[in-house]
Amino acid sequence: MTLKLGRQEFADDVTLMMAIVNRTPDSFYDKGATWAEDKAFDRVVEVVEQGAEIVDIGGIKAAPGVEIDAAEEIRRVGSFVGRVRSAFPDLVISVDTWRAEVGRVVCAEGADVLNDAWGGADPTLVEVAAAYDAAIICTHTGGVTVRTRPHRIEYADVVAAAISDTVAYAERAAAAGVDRSSIVIDPAHDFGKNTFHSLELTRRLDEMVATGWPVLVSLSNKDFVGESLDLPVGERLLGTLAASAISAVHGARIYRVHEVAETRQVVDMANVIAGRLAPKRAIRGLA
Amino acid sequence: MVPGAPALLTAYAGRLDPLSDVRAAAVEAVRWLVDGADEVRVWCAPLSDPDRDRGVTVAQGERIARDLLGAAAFGGRVSLVEPGCVDAVPVLVVANGSARRSEKAPGHLDERSHDFDAAVEKALADGDAKTLAGIDLALGAELLATGLHGLRALGQQQPVRTSLDLADDPFGVRYWVARWSWS
Repeated sequence: MTLKLGRQEFADDVTLMMAIVNRTPDSFYDKGATWAEDKAFDRVVEVVEQGAEIVDIGGIKAAPGVEIDAAEEIRRVGSFVGRVRSAFPDLVISVDTWRAEVGRVVCAEGADVLNDAWGGADPTLVEVAAAYDAAIICTHTGGVTVRTRPHRIEYADVVAAAISDTVAYAERAAAAGVDRSSIVIDPAHDFGKNTFHSLELTRRLDEMVATGWPVLVSLSNKDFVGESLDLPVGERLLGTLAASAISAVHGARIYRVHEVAETRQVVDMANVIAGRLAPKRAIRGLA
Repeated sequence: MVPGAPALLTAYAGRLDPLSDVRAAAVEAVRWLVDGADEVRVWCAPLSDPDRDRGVTVAQGERIARDLLGAAAFGGRVSLVEPGCVDAVPVLVVANGSARRSEKAPGHLDERSHDFDAAVEKALADGDAKTLAGIDLALGAELLATGLHGLRALGQQQPVRTSLDLADDPFGVRYWVARWSWS
C-alpha cells in the first residue's frame, strides 16, 4: 500500500530511515547531546544530509525519570518542529509523543507523523492525527504504563499479542478518520518486553508484515541487542545492524535509527539479497 | 549494429545504468532500423559451448537483441539467422570490439586490441565494406571481440549510407552503435 506520511507519499517498495532527534537531556543513547535546540537542529541537518527521509523528534526519554508534563514537552518540541519545518519544507517530521495535547501543537507547527511509542495511552491521539491528516504509528506495549520498564511480564504468544494490539489500534485510528494509508504498526521492541520477547518479534516479524499494515521497527542500540551480545550502550551498532537486516528481509518499511547511513546500507543490502531491490549498479561480468 | 554487452539486458538492470549512453544510442538505432518494418533478422554470436554446458539455451546476443527491440517497441517478427546476404529485411547485428583494452578489462590488456578495434571502427564509420569483410576472426577471438561473423557478412555489400553513432570503451570493451543502409 502506498504510504502517506503527511505531505509525502512513498511507494510500497520503498524503505525509509527515520532518524532519532532527541530534545532531551537524558535519553539513553545520546545522553543529552542534542538537548540544546541548536544542537538538535544540527542533528536534523546532519541526518538529512545522510539521507534520512524522516526525523523523529522526541521531548521525553522513554525510561522512567523526572516527570515531564505536557507544557514542558511542548516547550521542548513545539516551536522546534516549526523551525525544522521552515528549514526543510519537504522533510517528513515525526514527533514521538503519546499526548494528544502535544500532538495538536506539533501538527499545527507542521508535523506529519505522530509516533505513539506508548501504544494508545492517550486514546484521543488518533483524533488529532485525523484532524490534521497526519500519520500515526501504532505501537505494542502490552498495556504497560507509560515510561515504565517491563518487570516479569509474560505473553502466551508475544507476536500474536503484538499483531492483535497493533492491528486493533490501527483499525481504531482508521475509524477515527486517519487515512488508512497513513497508519503504521510497530512491535515496539523492548517496550513491555524482555529480550526474549523482542528477539521472537524480530525472528517472526514477517507475521506482522503479513497483516498488510506497513511495519516500523525501532531497534537502535536497544537493550535486547545489548543483552544478546552482552554489550553496553555505545557498542551495539553491529548488533543493531544485524537485527535491521533480519527485519529488512522480513519486509519492514521504516527503521527508527540513531545511525542513518549505516542502517541504510544494511537495509538496502538485505533487500537486494531478498530480490526486492535491484543492485545499485552492476557491471561485473556484464561489460 | 549494437554491442553484445549483457549489462544491456533488463534481467541485469541495476538502479543506476552503467551503460546509459550506450543503451540510449542502441535503442535509438534499433528504432530507426525497424521503422515501418514487420520483420527483423538478428545476427549475433551463437550460443557458446560453455554456456550450453551450463544449461543455457539462448545466446546472449539474441537476448540482447530481443530486449533492445522490445525497448524500441518493435512488435513484428524476429528471426535469428546465420549472417549472410542483406536483402530488404532489416538486420540487427550484435557485435563489439575487443574486451582486452586495459588492465581492468574483462580479458586484461592485450596491446593488439587498440589497433584491431581502430581498424574495425574506421571501417564502420567510413562504410569500408572490404575491411569488414576481411576481419581477422582468429585475432578477434583472441581479443574477445564478439559477433565478428556478422560484421564480416556486412562487408559483403557496399553500403550507400553509414553512421557511427557511438564508439566508447567505458569498461575496457569497445562498443559501437552504427547504422548501415544499402538503399
